[in-house]
Amino acid sequence: MARPLTKLLVANRGEIALRIIRSARLFGLKTVAVYSEADTQSMHVSAADEAIAIGPAEAAMSYLNIASIIAAAKRSGADAIHPGYGFLSERAEFAQAVSDAQIVFVGPRPEVMAALGDKVAARRIAVAAGVPVVPGIETAEIGAAREFAARAGYPILIKAAAGGGGRGMRVVAEAAQLEPALEAATREAAAAFGDGRIFVEKYLARPRHIEIQILGDEHGNVIALGERDCSIQRRHQKIIEESPAPGLSDEMRAKMIEAALKLARAAHYTSAGTAEFLVEGDNFYFLEVNARLQVEHPVTEMRFGCDLVCEQLRIAAGGKVSAPADPRGAAIECRINAEDPEHDFRPATGTVLHLSVPGGPGVRFDSHLARGAEVTPWYDGLLGKLICYGANREQARGRLVNALGEFALLGVTNNAAYVRDIIASEQFRDAKLSTHFIDEFFSTWKLSAAEIDAAIVAAAIAAGDPQVEATLQRSGNKHRSPWDGLNSFELWRSRR
Amino acid sequence: MKLVRAGDSHEIDVEVISRDGAIVRIRIGNRELAAEFSPNTDGGGLLVIDGRRYPIFSARRKDSILVSVGPASFEFKPAEVASRRRARGLAATEITAPMPGKILKVLVRDGDLVEAGQPLVVIEAMKMETTLAAESAAMVKQVRVEEGQTVDHGAVVIELSPPPASSGRESAPRAE
Repeated sequence: MARPLTKLLVANRGEIALRIIRSARLFGLKTVAVYSEADTQSMHVSAADEAIAIGPAEAAMSYLNIASIIAAAKRSGADAIHPGYGFLSERAEFAQAVSDAQIVFVGPRPEVMAALGDKVAARRIAVAAGVPVVPGIETAEIGAAREFAARAGYPILIKAAAGGGGRGMRVVAEAAQLEPALEAATREAAAAFGDGRIFVEKYLARPRHIEIQILGDEHGNVIALGERDCSIQRRHQKIIEESPAPGLSDEMRAKMIEAALKLARAAHYTSAGTAEFLVEGDNFYFLEVNARLQVEHPVTEMRFGCDLVCEQLRIAAGGKVSAPADPRGAAIECRINAEDPEHDFRPATGTVLHLSVPGGPGVRFDSHLARGAEVTPWYDGLLGKLICYGANREQARGRLVNALGEFALLGVTNNAAYVRDIIASEQFRDAKLSTHFIDEFFSTWKLSAAEIDAAIVAAAIAAGDPQVEATLQRSGNKHRSPWDGLNSFELWRSRR
Repeated sequence: MKLVRAGDSHEIDVEVISRDGAIVRIRIGNRELAAEFSPNTDGGGLLVIDGRRYPIFSARRKDSILVSVGPASFEFKPAEVASRRRARGLAATEITAPMPGKILKVLVRDGDLVEAGQPLVVIEAMKMETTLAAESAAMVKQVRVEEGQTVDHGAVVIELSPPPASSGRESAPRAE
């Protein structure tokens, strides 16, 4: 059923709003940006054909405000809404409200989103579709636990069914520890959550996180666009993503793609989505479906030469997905975040005082940053994504290391040097990937002493002589190059 | 001159010894470095030290000198500025908000004695919680915020005074 679209409202901010606006324009749509009081001067606002204020800085009152966003769509005459990622992107009630307002939601249908959003329900759909999940049973009974452990093999993970965030979790290495661990976990679960139910499941010691990109249309076609390896994570936040997954056999890839397609068909999935799996050895286990565009989608776009946002728009307009081209080469993405890797990654804010954006073949920088842009504390700290393509992984990696060498950002503390060191490391080069990569190799990262020396030299040159500096400031000279310190140094020397 | 890196209490003693064309000789502590510096038209420059090339940029922000060396960025303050916030035996006399945000928890009260590294306040910004801790042993002179209050970048959250038994150490070790 063809459904011509004319105007798209982008219910998001930052780099993803800008990225969606670019594709929507290419697709022939007028674009509407929405913005909070903290984002009046943001790049996505000026990039769109029109922009509508939707509320105060607090996300709950603006980017998460369903009524306000739908009112903006009505007012602007938008006939479609793209939610981006984060914010309202996976809220079934938002998709429902959009649809109730006779506006096309660029994403899966609300009931599909609701079913996949519930982890227990999603696991049930996976099991019914024959997709492997992490083997486990719900029991606090020692006999059943022992039998399961013998079948699945040690180590075993014991966790509270009601738990989260690692509380009440225990890794059991051998049979002798099982009974005391089970008793302690039951006690803890009851005390901490008022719910003594216990899950006993296979413990994956060094899993990789590998996900399959899927696209489905309302005519029942579902395709997969390969995989992304997102094993490099810090506190469950992805930092580096790549495709193809290094060392993944064609046979495993084919099996995982088949599983993702089965799952998507079983859920009657439409639009772009991602099936996430944990992989250990020759086994893979379904984790969850992200029913939206992922942050790391450019990695897939670079290899398949496609535009996933355009595909989403085509599907939303009632179009069909077509068979994908064969993927080529390799692509790696790193996330540049406003955080301080030298001080426990605490969030950073500030005004961008200088920005150098890398260039060259195969280099893509998706970002909403510009000189003068404000990074506020209101939203997540993603400043941009640097993605490099290469004929093979080494070329992509080399380009990314070089591109990060060209990157410079003053005014907002960020993790660019940290990700550069990871990507340049021999552990990353050798693809020693697991979700424990950071803990294993980068838990005690420090900037190189040579770079700190260079920074001190640069600061000394920029600072110049303090007395001259004070004089310059008193004279109110506002048009000074940052290296005027050097000139003042010359003055200083001639004075001696 | 003496510089201090933001978030650090260690003073860096640095001096430009001489400059001959692009060659700048610099002393850092008791080490001497020769650097070749060429400014660029874009406000940045190229620094060469020991044959390694570093693209650098610099900017001012209040009393800070911001510097980037490739993708790494740095904030320095002249030590005189940093030391205004420093009292004998204390790494800092004030705990300030490192970013605008909301005070989630206040973990101490006026008059409390705290150890280096002891959490004082939990602040929420950018959907993340950050704990502000004492950098040295101290006594809480005054808690200046309440739970639930929003604060601006640099706002004084807690004032500290030296612990009563302080022997007046020149610089306390930094917890972290």
